[in-house]
Amino acid sequence: MRWTGCRLALVRLFVSVIGTVFCWISLAQAVDFLSDESYEKPEANVQVADPIEPFNRAVFTLNDKVYLWVIEPVATGYSKVLPADIRSCIGNFFYNLGEPVRSANCLLQGRVRDAGSTLGRFIINSICGVFGLADAAEHEFKIAPVYASFGETLSVWGVGDGFYLVVPFMGPSTLRDFSGTVVDGAAMATYSPWNDDALTTASAQGAKTVNRTSLHLGEYVEIKSMSFDSYIAFRNGYYQMRSKQFDHSKTTK
Amino acid sequence: MLGNNMKPSIILNLFIAFALVLCTQVAVSATPDPTEQFRPFLNKVTATLADPGLKAMPKREQSRRIIGVVGERFDFREMSKRVIGQQWRSLSEKEQGEFEALFTQLLQYAYVGKIDEYTGQQVQFTQQRVKGERAEVQTLLVDKDKSIPVSYIMLLRGDQWMAYDVVVEGVSLVRNYMEQFSEILRKDGYPGLVKQIEEKIAELEKSIKKT
Repeated sequence: MRWTGCRLALVRLFVSVIGTVFCWISLAQAVDFLSDESYEKPEANVQVADPIEPFNRAVFTLNDKVYLWVIEPVATGYSKVLPADIRSCIGNFFYNLGEPVRSANCLLQGRVRDAGSTLGRFIINSICGVFGLADAAEHEFKIAPVYASFGETLSVWGVGDGFYLVVPFMGPSTLRDFSGTVVDGAAMATYSPWNDDALTTASAQGAKTVNRTSLHLGEYVEIKSMSFDSYIAFRNGYYQMRSKQFDHSKTTK
Repeated sequence: MLGNNMKPSIILNLFIAFALVLCTQVAVSATPDPTEQFRPFLNKVTATLADPGLKAMPKREQSRRIIGVVGERFDFREMSKRVIGQQWRSLSEKEQGEFEALFTQLLQYAYVGKIDEYTGQQVQFTQQRVKGERAEVQTLLVDKDKSIPVSYIMLLRGDQWMAYDVVVEGVSLVRNYMEQFSEILRKDGYPGLVKQIEEKIAELEKSIKKT
């Protein structure tokens, strides 16, 4: 009798500890706009430390120049040559190539349902969407795309952000998320059609960036013109956007 | 013995549960529906934007007109208060009023460029959440080949839902400005912030005149 009571108490303790841990994890990730804490205390805003701010600011300036002098002019010219719907098909094609990696990340995070739907999307779009050019899975089969990355997987496993990092030619990230991006990229390279040599890979990356930029022309300059310290504006925007990406509860979608 | 002890507690629990359900239902029926209040407002905003007469007006007049319509359901004071954060309480009444006017003007100039971008995009209401006196109305701004999720965060003032934040693709306007302003407030204090906002407005005004 005493043993059962003891075991019951232990199980209860275990459940409550696990419960508290999970509550903390979900507290740290979900931002509720309807609670005042998310406005009043900046530290509750899922902030990441920025100890290398001077370095980050230098890279931010570099990226800003690269964007304004190279990427945007190229993307503007490109947008005049190709109509928007074709450009969005090209965007779909690149996105579709990432689906297997997304599916694997969902599995690693224990999101079995999402892993299945992502893989389903890849198969449907590769066949019915002609190599992923059209998103038939969303429009015909109502399977919406979901976010998943190795940076997120690491976060689910309990790896912290480390610190904020502005990556040259890539933009805002954190130490953990950038490591995740490298792993995702390496995983994609095992099956992507352009892994023959560095030049081809770089060209494909460039094409992807130009194509994406061409669909969001003017947005960067606009955000910059509205901000007081664009470095902080983009850092904050990155955190906020990411906490939405990492939040898979239905309410915020 | 045990059975006797259990019974009243079950009944009590049931009673409490019933009372709670009753209370929440009363509360829900008393609060107006945020989406129902916001829908005609957003229709009015899009109708104003689509009005061909608007684009014929000078830029400054355009933005004044829009901010007038937007002001019907946006609480600029609440917005200003949140953007400043904890320091709001240390400002004098006069400073608070001055800041509200300045911040409203900033938004007016920041969004005047948007007027030309409006080409008949439609607003779809997806869902809403109500928590006490706060509500979030989630919408989709549907464009030709993309749709952008936009949420409005609101506060119940009397029987009117008033918005104080806009969240575009997960990024809250108020929280973004709040972080930038807290840096300026820390370094240069409130007078420094006022100076910077005034400079920004002048800069935005100049770029409007150029176009």
